[in-house]
Amino acid sequence: MPLSSLLQDNRVKAWLLLSPTILYLAVFIAYPIIDSFRIAFVKNGSISFEAVDFLLYSPLSEFWSALKYTFLLAILVIPTETLLALTAVILLFKRFRGRDAVIYVLVMPLALSDLAAGLIWYSMLTGKGFLNKLLLNMGLISDPIIFFGYENRWLTFLAVYLAEVWRSTAIVFVILFAGAQLINKEVFEAAEVFGASFYVKLRHILIPMIKPSLQAALLIRTLFAFQVFAVVWILAGRDIPVLAGEAYYSIVELHKYDVAALYAIVIALLSASIGVVYIRVFRETLLR
Amino acid sequence: MSSRRSLRRGEATSRYLLVGAAIVVVIILLALGYYFYSQGAAETTTGPLTGEAGEGAETTPETTTSPAATETPGEVTLIWASTQLVPPTEQQFVKEELLPPFTQETGIKVEFIGMSYGDLNVRLQSEMESGKVTISLIADLHGGLDLYASKGWLEDLSKFGALEGREFPQVLEDYSRLYGIKAYVPWLTATYVFVVNKEAFKYLPPGLSEEDVITGSEKWTYDALLEWAKNIEAATGQKPLGFPAGPKGLFHRFLHGYLYPSFTGAQVKNFDSPEAVQMWSYLKELWNYVHPQSTVYEAMAAPLLNGEVLIAWDHTARIKDAIVQKPDEFVVVPAPAGPKGRGYILVIVGLAIPKNAPHQDAAWKLIEYLTRPEVQSLILEKVGFFPAVSGVSEKLPEGPLKVLAQGVGNQLNTPDSLVALIPSLGEKGGDFRNTYREAFKAIVLEGKDPQQVLPELKQYLLSLFQATGASLPPPDE
Repeated sequence: MPLSSLLQDNRVKAWLLLSPTILYLAVFIAYPIIDSFRIAFVKNGSISFEAVDFLLYSPLSEFWSALKYTFLLAILVIPTETLLALTAVILLFKRFRGRDAVIYVLVMPLALSDLAAGLIWYSMLTGKGFLNKLLLNMGLISDPIIFFGYENRWLTFLAVYLAEVWRSTAIVFVILFAGAQLINKEVFEAAEVFGASFYVKLRHILIPMIKPSLQAALLIRTLFAFQVFAVVWILAGRDIPVLAGEAYYSIVELHKYDVAALYAIVIALLSASIGVVYIRVFRETLLR
Repeated sequence: MSSRRSLRRGEATSRYLLVGAAIVVVIILLALGYYFYSQGAAETTTGPLTGEAGEGAETTPETTTSPAATETPGEVTLIWASTQLVPPTEQQFVKEELLPPFTQETGIKVEFIGMSYGDLNVRLQSEMESGKVTISLIADLHGGLDLYASKGWLEDLSKFGALEGREFPQVLEDYSRLYGIKAYVPWLTATYVFVVNKEAFKYLPPGLSEEDVITGSEKWTYDALLEWAKNIEAATGQKPLGFPAGPKGLFHRFLHGYLYPSFTGAQVKNFDSPEAVQMWSYLKELWNYVHPQSTVYEAMAAPLLNGEVLIAWDHTARIKDAIVQKPDEFVVVPAPAGPKGRGYILVIVGLAIPKNAPHQDAAWKLIEYLTRPEVQSLILEKVGFFPAVSGVSEKLPEGPLKVLAQGVGNQLNTPDSLVALIPSLGEKGGDFRNTYREAFKAIVLEGKDPQQVLPELKQYLLSLFQATGASLPPPDE
C-alpha cells in the first residue's frame, strides 16, 4: 500500500520517469566531462596547472596557431557551404526531370567518412596525382603544382578548405532542403497570384520560413567545425595545426594525456559558447 | 460506467507498465554504472602500488599462476616476456611457426607473453621485490635491458659460456656488456637507411661513384649528398630527396641519430655546440633539394614507388614495400658520413634472463635456438627484423630481402660507424622527439637563428633526462 501510494505521488512519478535520462546523462555526458577535468588538472592527488603552462608557454606547443587555424577554417568554410547549400535548395525547389538524381549526387559526400574524404583529396592533389596529371597532359602547366608541405601551406589551406566545403555542404543542404519541403505550397501560390518577384519570394517567404532549419544547420556545422580533424590531418599533417589534431598528437605522440584533455575542454567550451550565441541571436531575430 | 472503469484500469496498468519499465532501465543502468565504478576502483587500488596507473595489472596474476599450477613434474614451461613481436600477426608467427620446432626438439614448452615497455618494467619490479620470479626470459630493446641491468635484475650470461658456431658484430658484443656483466645476447636489429632509385645514379657528382654510395666509402659524405641532389635538380628540375617529416613520420630519428652524431659526435650533449649550428645550416641548404611534401610524408615507400622522390631515408620496415614491389629499381645504401663519423641508429633487441629466474638452463637453450642463423633469417622474412648474428644476409636468396639485408649489413660494416642508440625515456620519449622536431621547424622551416633556438631547447632536453634518471644514449658518454 505505501509503495502504491508513493507511486501515486506525481513528483515521485516524475523523478522515476526522468531517472533513466538522468542516469544516461550522468554516465555518458557528466562523467566524461568531470573526468577530463580531472585528467587535465589533477596530478598525484593535487591540483596542477602543468598542462596549462605547457599549452600556453611551452615552445613545443602549437596551441595559438591551432586556435587561429581552427577559427580561420570555420570562418571561411561555414559561410561558403551555407551559401552553396542555399543556392542548391533554391535551384532544386521546383520539380524537374532528374531532380532526384541531382539530389543524390549532392548528398553523396555524406556517405563518406572524413578520413576517406581527406585521402581522396590528397590522392587527387598530390604532386603525381590526378589533377596535376590532367593539367600537365593538357599542357596548362609545365611543372606539377605542389599543394602540400610546410612551404606551400597556404595552398594546403586552400586544399583543406575545398575538401571541407565539399564534404560538409551535403549536411547543410540536407537540413535546409528538409526545411524547405515543409513550407506550405499555398504560400507560394498566393505570392504568385499577387505577382511577387523571385527576390521577394526568396526574401520574404523562403528564407524566413527555413530559418529554424538554418539555425539547426549552422549550429551543427559550427560545432563540427571546432572538431575538424581527419581532413586536415591527412592533407596538412601539423603544417596547419588545428585543435582536435593537437589533442590527438598530444596523446599518440607525446603521451601527454593532461594536455589532450585540456584541448578537449577548450574545444567543448568553444562549442558550447558558440552554441549559446547562435541560439540567442536566432531567438532575437525570430521574435522580432 | 463499466467501460469508463475499464478504461481507467487500462490507463492505470499502462502507467504501471511505464513505471515498471523505468525501474528496469534504472536497474540496468545502475548495474552498468557499478561495473564501471568497480573497474575504476580496481584501477585506483593497483595504481599507487605499481606507479603506472595499473596498466598491465590485469594480465599479471592469471598468466603467472596458471602454467605453474598445471605443470607436471619433468615437464618444463618457460615464460618468455617480450616487448617485441607484440602485434597480433607477429605473436601468431611466434606461437605457430617460431616456437613449435623448439618444443619438438627439446620438449620445453614456451609461453610467449607480449607486453608493453611499461608493463614489463612493472612486472619485473614486482617479481624482484616479492622474490618470486616467474619470467625465465626477456626480450627487450637495449634501453630497457640497460635499465634492468643497472638495477641488478639480470643474470650474468657469461656463466653459460659461448654460443657455438655464431658470430656477433663487435658493436653488438660491446653494447651487450653492461655494468660489468654480459647482460644480454643480441637477438634482432633494425635500423634506418637511405634508399636510392637507380635512376639517380645517372646524376652522380664527379668524384663519387655508385660503388662509393653502395658500400659507404669515405667519399660518401653529407657534402656529397648535397652535391648529388643539386646535380639531380639541375638536370631534371625535380627536388630529389625525401624525408618522412609528417607528424607520424620518423624524421626526428634522422635528426638525433644521424645528423647530430655525424656532425657533433653526440646525440644530446652537443645540442647547441658550434658544430651543431654548422649542421643546421647544412640542413637548411640541403632542404632546398628536399621535396616540399616531405612535411606531410609519414612513410617513404609510396613517394619512392610513385617517383616523387629519388633518394629517401626511413626505417627499414617503412620502405620495405618499395623494395618488395620493385627490387630491381631500388638499392639500399648506408647513411652518408659527416665530419665526426657515420652516425646511424641501431635498434637492438636482446635476450636476457632475470636474476633468480626459474628454468635458466632451458632459457639458455631457447636463446641458443633463437640466435641460429636459419631462425634469424626466418624472422627477417616473416617480421622484417634484421639478424644480430653475422653472415645471415649472404645466405639469403636473391630478391628484395637480400637487397634490404645487404644495405643494412653494409651500413653496419662501415669502418667509421658511429652507432647511436635510442634513449629509453619512457613516457618522456615523446618530448624528446618533439624537441628535435621543434628545432627543425624553427630553424629550417621558419628560418630562425639556431643560436637563438638551441640553448633553450637544450635545457628542456636535459631536463627530460634528469626527470627520468636515464643516462645519455650512446655515443654521448
